[in-house]
Amino acid sequence: MTAKTNDGSVFYNTEKIYMPTPQQFGRGDKMGRGPYEKSGMLRDASLPPHKTVKEQFSIPVYTDATKDGKVVRTLLANDFTVDVEVWYLPYGKKDDPGNAQKWFAVSKQMHIEKGGK
Amino acid sequence: MRVCTSAFVLLSLTAPFWLGGDGAAEETKAKTIAELAAMYDSSSCKECHADIHGQWLKSLHARSIFGPEAVGRTAATIKTTIENGLKEWPESGVKTPEDVGVKHLMICAKCHLPQLQEAEDSVAREIVKNVYAFADNGDEQAKRALESLNIGCTICHGRNAIVHKWTDGYPKKDVVYGSKDGAHDDPDHSVMKQSKIIKETILCGQCHGLGPNLELDNPTQCATLYGTHLYAYVPEGGTKTCQECHMRASGLGHNIQSYRDPAMIKLALDVDVEVQALQWRDITTMTPLANVTVALTNKAGHSIPDG
Repeated sequence: MTAKTNDGSVFYNTEKIYMPTPQQFGRGDKMGRGPYEKSGMLRDASLPPHKTVKEQFSIPVYTDATKDGKVVRTLLANDFTVDVEVWYLPYGKKDDPGNAQKWFAVSKQMHIEKGGK
Repeated sequence: MRVCTSAFVLLSLTAPFWLGGDGAAEETKAKTIAELAAMYDSSSCKECHADIHGQWLKSLHARSIFGPEAVGRTAATIKTTIENGLKEWPESGVKTPEDVGVKHLMICAKCHLPQLQEAEDSVAREIVKNVYAFADNGDEQAKRALESLNIGCTICHGRNAIVHKWTDGYPKKDVVYGSKDGAHDDPDHSVMKQSKIIKETILCGQCHGLGPNLELDNPTQCATLYGTHLYAYVPEGGTKTCQECHMRASGLGHNIQSYRDPAMIKLALDVDVEVQALQWRDITTMTPLANVTVALTNKAGHSIPDG
């Protein structure tokens, strides 16, 4: 997930990984990587079937500063865009078209009102 | 037709191995990749089943030890298994790639090439030689050799069509197992028998499995799909089989696909994104925030991803 101002400056970027954490040789606390060393599971953070996993993100649209002992927050932009992408990435990186698959992408235009107090 | 005739000749020249009624080996083992490929050759099937054969050709089953067309990731992983696994394990008996035999490769081939059990160690060595030739040098001839071995018609509709062999009998070499009984117009597979599991999840579960393959001397774990299907999907009320989604609902038929195919992606996951901008206020300090809620609904018959 990325948030950026209309001039393209990214002010927020985060990701969440959903996948099982296989156990190396079925023992201890190390994750196994290749199929030849995986035997078991330390944790399962994959998306479970017939379930909805809901994630909430609170993106700060400001910078913090202290002036005269007080917190002063400066708005980054009244208009900005939040991009959400879901990738299936079994191996390698997103720029590897042979492996990485983009499953979903959406851009949401957002607006913080001007004025008032 | 020339292809079909050639395939038939090749099949006739080789000695297919199959299990007899008592499960004992009837015939000799393959000594080369070409012999093993011929034993399980599916090219004669396309004479009558051209559409299905064409669908299958697009699937990963058609290149099960090479992997995706552009990258050959399965072949690359077999090399990694030898380099980072077999060669490093003190009791594996593998010091160099030339030491790899059938029993070693079966930790991958159990699913990627189950018919390797009907081959001699010379075939394992030939596979390994081609894996290295492709992985190290992009050798196209090696790629073609690896792609000649696959999960073809005679695996799912033959060798692996019966799971409970004491109950249903051992698969026979002249029988093609499908949806009905009768005669079959193919000199090598002249009998058609209804398979009890051809439409059942267990057929796929033989490979897309339960997790660690504990029957191996050094267990591997590639697939956990059948496990999450049984222990997560079914308890949630799920009733669909693998075939219902991956073959029928997708419209892909024997081009059985998963995460790379748009139809499967649409069937697998719903994503809903809701956004709200607001200014939270603490006396005089304004805090402008963008709240984003992402809801991911897994509609598949298993966890996503596999692993």
